[in-house]
Amino acid sequence: MNPRRLLLRKMIYVGLMIPLVLLLAVLGMPAAPGAKGAPGSPGGVLARLREQHELSPTTLGDIDPTSETLKLATLGLRGVASTILWEKANNYKAKKDWTNLAATLEQLSKFQPNFVSVWRFQSWNLSYNVSVEFDDYRDRYHWVIRGLHYLDKGIRYNRNEAILVWDSAYFVQHKIGRSDERVQFRRLFKQDDDFHGSRPMARRDSWLVAKERFEDCLEVVDRGGRMRGSPLLYRSNPAMAQMGYAEAIEKEGTFGEVARREWKQAGDEWHAFGALDLPRTGSESTIRLNDYEPRQEERKALAAQLDELEPGLRQRLRDEKLAALTDEQRKALDTPPEKRSTRQMDLAAQAEASIQVGHQEQARRIRGENRKKALELAKQIDLIDDELHSLRSSRGIVNFEYWRLRAAFEQEADTVDAREAVYRGQQALAETDLVAAKRLYEAGLLKWRQVLDRYPQLLADENTRSITADDLGEVIDEYRRVLKLLDEPFPDPFILQDVLEHYQPSI
Amino acid sequence: MVLETFHAVNFAEWIGPAAKVWLIAVVALLVGFALLRWLFAVLRQGPAAGTLSALNFLWAAAADLLLISPRRTLALAGLTIKESMRRRVVIVFAVFLILVAFAGWFLDPGSNQPARLYLSFVLTTTSYLVLLLAVFLSALSLPADIRNHTIHTVVTKPVRPSEIVLGRVLGFAAVGTVLLGLMAAISYVFVLRGLDHKHDFSAAAREQLAVMWRDARRNDSTQGIAVSTDRVQNHRHTVFFDPAQETVDEQGVRRGAIRTDTENGHEHEIQYVVPAEGEVQFVCSPPENHLLARVPIYGKLRFKDRAGKDADKGVNVGDEWTYRSYIQGGSLAAAIWTFENLRDDQFPDGLPVEMTLGVFRTHKGDIEKGVPGSLSVRNPATGDEAHVRTFASREFQTDLQVIPLEFQTGDGRTINLFRDMVADGKLEVWLRCVAPQQYFGAGQADLYLRARDASFALNFVKGFAGIWLQMVMITGFGVLFSTFLSGPIAILATGGALLGGLFSDFLYQLSQHKVFGGGPIEAMIRLVTQQNVVTELPPTAQTTVAKMLDKAAEQWMWLIWHMLPDFRVLSFSDHVAYGFDISWGLLAMAVCQTLAYVGPAFVLGYVFLKSRELAQ
Amino acid sequence: MSAEVVIETRSLTKVYRDFWGRRKVEALKALDLDVRRGEIFGLLGPNGSGKTTTIKLILGLLFPTNGEALVFGRPAGDVEKNARIGYLPEESYLYRFLNAEETLDFYARLFRLPRAVRRQRVYDLIEQVGLQRAKRRQLREYSKGMTRRIGLAQALINDPELLLLDEPTTGLDPIGIREMKDLILHLRDQGKTILMCSHRLDDVQDVCDRIAILHQGELKELGRVDSLLKVRDMTEIRATGLSEEAKEEIRQVIARHGAQLLSCDNPTATLEELFVKIIRESEEHPGRRVRGVA
Repeated sequence: MNPRRLLLRKMIYVGLMIPLVLLLAVLGMPAAPGAKGAPGSPGGVLARLREQHELSPTTLGDIDPTSETLKLATLGLRGVASTILWEKANNYKAKKDWTNLAATLEQLSKFQPNFVSVWRFQSWNLSYNVSVEFDDYRDRYHWVIRGLHYLDKGIRYNRNEAILVWDSAYFVQHKIGRSDERVQFRRLFKQDDDFHGSRPMARRDSWLVAKERFEDCLEVVDRGGRMRGSPLLYRSNPAMAQMGYAEAIEKEGTFGEVARREWKQAGDEWHAFGALDLPRTGSESTIRLNDYEPRQEERKALAAQLDELEPGLRQRLRDEKLAALTDEQRKALDTPPEKRSTRQMDLAAQAEASIQVGHQEQARRIRGENRKKALELAKQIDLIDDELHSLRSSRGIVNFEYWRLRAAFEQEADTVDAREAVYRGQQALAETDLVAAKRLYEAGLLKWRQVLDRYPQLLADENTRSITADDLGEVIDEYRRVLKLLDEPFPDPFILQDVLEHYQPSI
Repeated sequence: MVLETFHAVNFAEWIGPAAKVWLIAVVALLVGFALLRWLFAVLRQGPAAGTLSALNFLWAAAADLLLISPRRTLALAGLTIKESMRRRVVIVFAVFLILVAFAGWFLDPGSNQPARLYLSFVLTTTSYLVLLLAVFLSALSLPADIRNHTIHTVVTKPVRPSEIVLGRVLGFAAVGTVLLGLMAAISYVFVLRGLDHKHDFSAAAREQLAVMWRDARRNDSTQGIAVSTDRVQNHRHTVFFDPAQETVDEQGVRRGAIRTDTENGHEHEIQYVVPAEGEVQFVCSPPENHLLARVPIYGKLRFKDRAGKDADKGVNVGDEWTYRSYIQGGSLAAAIWTFENLRDDQFPDGLPVEMTLGVFRTHKGDIEKGVPGSLSVRNPATGDEAHVRTFASREFQTDLQVIPLEFQTGDGRTINLFRDMVADGKLEVWLRCVAPQQYFGAGQADLYLRARDASFALNFVKGFAGIWLQMVMITGFGVLFSTFLSGPIAILATGGALLGGLFSDFLYQLSQHKVFGGGPIEAMIRLVTQQNVVTELPPTAQTTVAKMLDKAAEQWMWLIWHMLPDFRVLSFSDHVAYGFDISWGLLAMAVCQTLAYVGPAFVLGYVFLKSRELAQ
Repeated sequence: MSAEVVIETRSLTKVYRDFWGRRKVEALKALDLDVRRGEIFGLLGPNGSGKTTTIKLILGLLFPTNGEALVFGRPAGDVEKNARIGYLPEESYLYRFLNAEETLDFYARLFRLPRAVRRQRVYDLIEQVGLQRAKRRQLREYSKGMTRRIGLAQALINDPELLLLDEPTTGLDPIGIREMKDLILHLRDQGKTILMCSHRLDDVQDVCDRIAILHQGELKELGRVDSLLKVRDMTEIRATGLSEEAKEEIRQVIARHGAQLLSCDNPTATLEELFVKIIRESEEHPGRRVRGVA
């Protein structure tokens, strides 16, 4: 081939390459972070698409060369490679080869760094499933932390995935703070300099760390990150972690002002949670859990206004309905509830329902100039009723009222003292100082009496009552044991007789 | 975390029967081949001429195989080496270097068993690269020669086809040897350097120690303290400084040398000098005892169930993996290993029993402590049993319990181990779980006598020798296929043999219809129609046909499975990575297996080449 | 001339078959030949006539479908005979990654030559074929002519008694062709037997003692070159300085003797004439031509 043609050919090649390279640059340019808060360049088409579909990392500094190399090295067979690795991981797990399992999971995450399920599933695998395979709690702890480290790595790859942050908070809260090994785990966790780094000793409690991470999660959500689950739940997490913290330090023997302060903090946070605008199911609008009581007042006022528009109407309507009842129904209704037969109970319920007077009904019966106002009022009441209904169900989901009450009575000096006395009684019992134990238990129970008297709600509704009864019932059982060991009879009447009535000891 | 597939086979016992099977197979193969050749010749040339031609062929073959000239063979091997260089073997080496250079990205020295991870990595990487290279080189060479007609100038010289085949095998083996040698050396350095690290002490720890030494100067009975080192490679060590163990000279300079605890599979030795005034000097050794080649003596495992009756296996506690079976605590259940051929001169310092146990709790128990177990020895002849000690279990950790040569039992007897307990070289070791309702899990290789430690470097070399054998075997296959197949097809065939050898287990399972999802065709149908592997396919005609075809395929796979070598026998990666010595017997077995395949492959290759018209 | 037969073929037949074993080409049909010690024997024929097939059958690179080829009295498949044979293939099929020295050394090793002999012979041959300057260069860089020369050197490495040369002059320039022919004659003079095949008539005519002409796998003509060209009842008159009158006189003399003057021109390459004639005849009347051996 003559040199001129060769040169020409080369030039054609170069000529073809230049637009290709330019195209590649336009498509593939990574985003560059701006200097100190200044907006950086958004990057090429691919980078923007990645941003749009929330496939971080999109900025140059965040790209992990290993991961990118591995992805390239599979020549588009990433899915196949990942499947093989999953298979391998399962096999290693079955054969209890933890070293290789962990190594495989590392590789796996490098293949699919933006596949959130990999991080979630495999970190759970490490922290929960692998961890319990070990008999020694120190080994278990080690694997819990490995799972957390794994999640942390996932968070670095997926900065917009709030769920990963939430998972890590949950692992700390649940696995370290609530598992069977919590005593050991929490101890190891506090000593774990490597996990905490520069975090001050006082903040190294698993509950506080969990709270911190729950808050981080909310931060990511507020920044526009992706989250799964209901805001009602995940927004309640930090305050709940604070409650857990307060509870835990008391279990471990910290009382007095410190305990009260933490409970107060929990109460405040719970209140703040109640003041948040939360989405209301089945509606575009929002609700605040704290609004329940004021709304109820409002409703009462509106109902009174409606009644005033035509006094006595309500009673009249009710009487009409009563008159329309069948004899049998009326008889059932007249029978005291405890004496009703099964059939009568049904009838009574029917009757109760049919003699209810609705606000719409009441308003429609009003004639004359007040009619319009009455209908308006009835409509407002209905709206409030709807909101109250939503509030009731939302509150039920997070057990809002119980925790509000709990934070409130726990920060009372008497409660803290009661708990301290019981705690010291338990210690005395463990040291078989029965006399001291008896004295301390009795002091504690006395204090509890005072708390219960101040907070009758503790034994009011079914839900709260059973929690209170369980909590105190165990203390009472211990007290009973002390007395038994001392060969003394259980006092009658007992100071917490009302609690005992609701207590069903677990077998 | 145990070596599940171990080979406690005695080479001397193995070689006899194995050789017999091999001889039968080879003779059958040769006779079959000769008959075929004869039949073919008779069909083509008539009975007389055909028989004559077949006899001639056999005669020539015998001459070709027996009169191989080493010089010509070496010349051909030399050519093969030059050709391999031309084919840029160097590239494979470069790939290896790149992989090793960037391996730090994948390998976490902070993992629990970094040595295992590193060793596994280098051994697997090398073996895959070298085997792949062997496939390509060996399968492509001869077909390329035939295609380029260069073979014409060779076979028209007084060269026997046997020499061509042998020269190829030797040449590639030589290339592979050099390559593997280099890779092994680099790998060794890589592993040592990757795992190398030292620890120091933080200012706070130094302060604590300074206080201790100040006290020790005033008071001889000062208690030692445990200090943590700094964190390197994701771990710290705890070091117990004990003033009582230090030497003090006239100037009041204290010197000590202590070992750290074991973390991530290694320990360090720290030497230090405490001057009367000024900074303490600590010298930390590189990690030690992380690269091991333990020489285990395996026993035979049997079980007793909770009622004390003999049982083949213990209890399954719900594990998918059935390697370990479990014995119930607080009952008569026991796991019993019987050791043979023990001599007292083997164990001057007592019987080192090393074990890795599974622990399964049915209730929480005391989670601060391990489940207690008991270790006893029993004389198999007299049935006399002596309790050695109770220990606390540590799951997934290798625990060394040395049974002293002389010890006192609980009831005050003094037992001389070899005199009282070993009968005719035999000894039983009984393992029981003491805590009621808790379980110990044990598998065959979980408890062994750690007779001694062999040299790790030598073991490393043996591990690479295993790869070398695999490479030679693949080269043999490659050259064999290349004598009658074209290049790409020969690569496929050789690659197929390699895959089949590597996944011989799977092949077997497939041939025995034990794999979910059925045979190849059924699997393809499931793949295309996206069906679950466990659902039954609809009973259509297609399904029946597919299943019939699969049945036929399974027969083939069964046949192939029987003919292919089991590569796992040649792979010692696990031994090296898990720190077990590769015994010479095991190595000899592997060598025999390789020869058993390469020998016939060579003869077959010769026959194919000889029967082939090279100019066509 | 010695009567010792070096190569003998007895009704040597080769049929190429396709993958399914069906007959495709009958490349060689019952060839009977013998080549005697010390002669240069030429196989002549157009492309695809069976020349190369014959050589490959003699070398054992192909197996005969029928008949046999004997070299030094041994069957073609026997490797021992190769020790006395040199073979220059049609194109020099050599390892392109070796240089000239390495190439010759490699082939020398195949003959198990002792190191000293090997060195000397490699040196001599490189000199003989004129590749001293290029002896350290890889063959991949060689021109066609150079490749041919190293190919020849390779064929001579064992100082063979019998040389089989497949198209020895292809790829050579006129000077190279001359040198090659001289070399062939020189080798014959050393007492070597040479079997060469070519489609170049001048090669054959210039060097061969005897030739066989093949066409479509069949032997068409066999004999001494000189007698083959003489046997016709044809007389060639060559003269210079003849006047027109003298030519006329000669014509009359011929007519007087009852003969007919075909032409009275400058002579043509007569082998070519013969060759073309045979080929034409063969195409017109397919079948084997039985002819006495000269």
